[in-house]
Amino acid sequence: MLELKGVTKRFGGVQAVNGLDISVAENEIFGLIGPNGSGKSTTVNLICGIYPVTAGEIVFNGKNLAGLPPHKRLRAGIARTFQNIRLFPNLTVWQNLLVARNSMEDVHSQSFLARWLGETRHTRGEIESILEFSDLADKADDLASNLAFGEQRRLELARAAAAKPRLLLLDEPAAGMNREEVQDLIHRVRGLRDSGITILLVEHVMQLVMNVTDRICVINFGQKIAQGTPDEIQNHSAVQEAYFGTTAGDPD
Amino acid sequence: MTDFLQNCIDGVMIGSSYALLALGFTIIFGVMRRLNLSFGPTIMLGAFGGAWLYLHFNINPWLVLLACIVFTVAAGVYVERLCFNAIKRNVAITSMVSSFVIWMQLEEIAIHILPDRTSPFPPLFASLSFEAGPFYVRSEYLFMFAVAVAAVFAVERILHRTWFGLRLRAVAEDPRAAAYMGINAGRVSVYAFVLVSVLGAVAGYLILAADQQVTPFFGLWATFKGLIAMMLGGMGSLPGAIIGGLLLGVIETQSLWYFGNEYKDLAAYLVLFLMLIARPGGIMGQRLVERRRLAFRRV
Repeated sequence: MLELKGVTKRFGGVQAVNGLDISVAENEIFGLIGPNGSGKSTTVNLICGIYPVTAGEIVFNGKNLAGLPPHKRLRAGIARTFQNIRLFPNLTVWQNLLVARNSMEDVHSQSFLARWLGETRHTRGEIESILEFSDLADKADDLASNLAFGEQRRLELARAAAAKPRLLLLDEPAAGMNREEVQDLIHRVRGLRDSGITILLVEHVMQLVMNVTDRICVINFGQKIAQGTPDEIQNHSAVQEAYFGTTAGDPD
Repeated sequence: MTDFLQNCIDGVMIGSSYALLALGFTIIFGVMRRLNLSFGPTIMLGAFGGAWLYLHFNINPWLVLLACIVFTVAAGVYVERLCFNAIKRNVAITSMVSSFVIWMQLEEIAIHILPDRTSPFPPLFASLSFEAGPFYVRSEYLFMFAVAVAAVFAVERILHRTWFGLRLRAVAEDPRAAAYMGINAGRVSVYAFVLVSVLGAVAGYLILAADQQVTPFFGLWATFKGLIAMMLGGMGSLPGAIIGGLLLGVIETQSLWYFGNEYKDLAAYLVLFLMLIARPGGIMGQRLVERRRLAFRRV
């Protein structure tokens, strides 16, 4: 469903991503890992359309994304979360979700009044169920900035899910989480996949990556060095060298 | 004491139009984090369009008001596309400087529309005076105040109760995250300029109708009044814009009464000077400065 074909990104003289080929299948949880500065975040940003690719192409559902601005990529079905939480701090939890939910809506399918007010009974019901799923139902009217860290992370995920994407990019969703929170996140990510969303997970925390992904791609210096199931990756020599040091195991 | 209270009443009436001008600056500052210096000149150009129609076709004053709004919106969108479009979003200084340069262009256009420089401007209705005990108010100022109050409530509703307002606030909070949530920031920005242009045109019309004339200097005047009111109230704070506008109006009428016309503007600048020393963030901005939070978050 998502295909990166020879994607290359140069910033001046720096080769951030170099001829990367990735193919993510429908309804799969695909992990993208690599050491710091290996080009993971750049890859996510390229898929989201912050900056154009230097070479290669990104194809989503058979459609080349070149030249499509970020807000249209959401409407095409690609949502994301941010490594450093980027909620709308002075909007309420409900409003944060409404923004994402409503932007996705085909505005022409709504009446003028519904478009103007931005809240129909239909969207209201959907947002309520998302709040329920994210354990944020009692926080609906709190400002996002007043939430605890874990709640903000959940809201970040909920907001991306509210856009009803077909592909969800998770950029280090477990950063700063303790083991219990990661366990909770694992359930949520699986829940999202079960609801039919394909997930591309960029992550450092091995507890999450190894437990939740179907396939993993390892990159270093912007190039793919290995790809396979979590088991295969854990025992892959090149990966151990580049990523884990020399011994296999959980660096967490 | 009666004089003082009378001045306060007059000041609040006039200040209500300053508040609308300050709201225009504040909304754009809140969303784009840019100063639109040519806000005043777009209003002036709109007023010149209305005055031109009035002079040549002698149209109804309500149609003049409508024409002012239409021309100001057109000029506002022109400025947005030229100086504030998405491409220039990352270069704050370019937007500000180019909006200053466009100011000159708008003034030049206005002078070519009506070369006489000073043109008559029609009031909506004949002036009346109302008396209440020792106080009196002129009908045009009472109308100005009523319209300004209505406009402030309308803006509040739009920003907090509509889908457009929600998108506007989302873009103000985090433009990039808003883009990822599917919001077309460029379109929201155009809508924001339409909104402030309508506000500005209404404020401009009411002020000019009270004066019954318009000159190309009105652009400079409107930008200054709006900026001073915004600085007094606090950059980027909507309540601050309203408080700042009313305060500026009261300071002007009081100093006009007690010190004379030549000290009217000087007194306003003195208060601004003291404000910048004592509370650099303005009345509503101070707390935000202390919290090291950016003032525009308030929108």
